[in-house]
Amino acid sequence: METTNMNLKVTPRSLDNDTRVLDLEGEVDVYTAPLLRQEIMDQVDAGVKRLLVNLAKVEYLDSTGLGILIGGVKRMREQGGVLRLVAPPPRITRIFDITGLNRIFEVHATEAEALA
Amino acid sequence: MTGDVALSEGMPSGSGRPVINGTAVVTLTIPCAPEYVGTARLAILGVAGRMGFSYDQIEDIRLAVGEACTNAIERAGHVPGLDAGINIRCEIQAERLTIEIEDNVPTMNGDAAGAEGEEDFSTQELGAVLMEILVDEVAIDTLPGGGTRARLVKYTADNA
Repeated sequence: METTNMNLKVTPRSLDNDTRVLDLEGEVDVYTAPLLRQEIMDQVDAGVKRLLVNLAKVEYLDSTGLGILIGGVKRMREQGGVLRLVAPPPRITRIFDITGLNRIFEVHATEAEALA
Repeated sequence: MTGDVALSEGMPSGSGRPVINGTAVVTLTIPCAPEYVGTARLAILGVAGRMGFSYDQIEDIRLAVGEACTNAIERAGHVPGLDAGINIRCEIQAERLTIEIEDNVPTMNGDAAGAEGEEDFSTQELGAVLMEILVDEVAIDTLPGGGTRARLVKYTADNA
C-alpha cells in the first residue's frame, strides 16, 4: 500500500519473496524524510534481502534524504542484504557525484540492471 | 507555532522602498518547521528564475537555501516548545544573488547535534558540505542573541 504526504509518495512493490522496490515520487526533504525512513525500516524488518529504491520520479533530494538512504544501505548490509538505487534523474546523480556518495551507493540505470 | 508566512518583495521592514541603492530586495519569513521549507524553496525559485541563471544553477541555489533552512529546523527539533522563525532575505543584483537565512534557534554543541538519527553521521555536516559546493560563497555566523545567519552568494557569470 502506498503511503504519501503532500510532497512525497512511496509505493512498495514485491518482485519476489526476497526482493522489493520502493517507487518514490516527489520531494525528499526534512518534511518528507521520516516517511521514507519508515518505509525502508519496514522492509528491513520484513527481512527483505534486495531493496531497490526507484528514484526516477524524485524531483528533489536534500541532505536529510541522503542520510536516510545511507542509513538504509547500512541497515540492509547489517542483515546481509543490499539496497540499490535505480534510475536517478541527472539532477540527483549530480548530487551523488559532488558529495562523493556515488562511492557508497550502488546506482543502476534500470531495475533489470539492478537485479542482474 | 502559528504557521504564518510573510512574503514581501522590495520592501524590507522599515524602508518602504522597492529598491535600496539599486538593489531589489525580497524577504520571506517562515515558521521554523519542516512543512515550510518547501515554501522557501518555491520563493527562491521565483527569485533566481528571473536572473539569468541556468537550470542547474537555480537548482543549486534552491538546494543550498533548503539546506540552510533544514539546519535551523533540525536544531529547533532539539528544543521542545521553541517558537522559532526563519527570515530569508534576497538581494538581487545584476552580477549576483545574495541570500541571507537567519534563524533564532539556539546553537548546539556537537554532541547534541549528533544525538538524533540512526545514520551514524551528521546530516548537518553533509548539508554544510552541499552549501559550500553549490554556491560561490558561504558564510555562517552565530548571532549574539542566539541563532545563526547563513549568507550565500551566487554569481550570475559562470567564471565567478
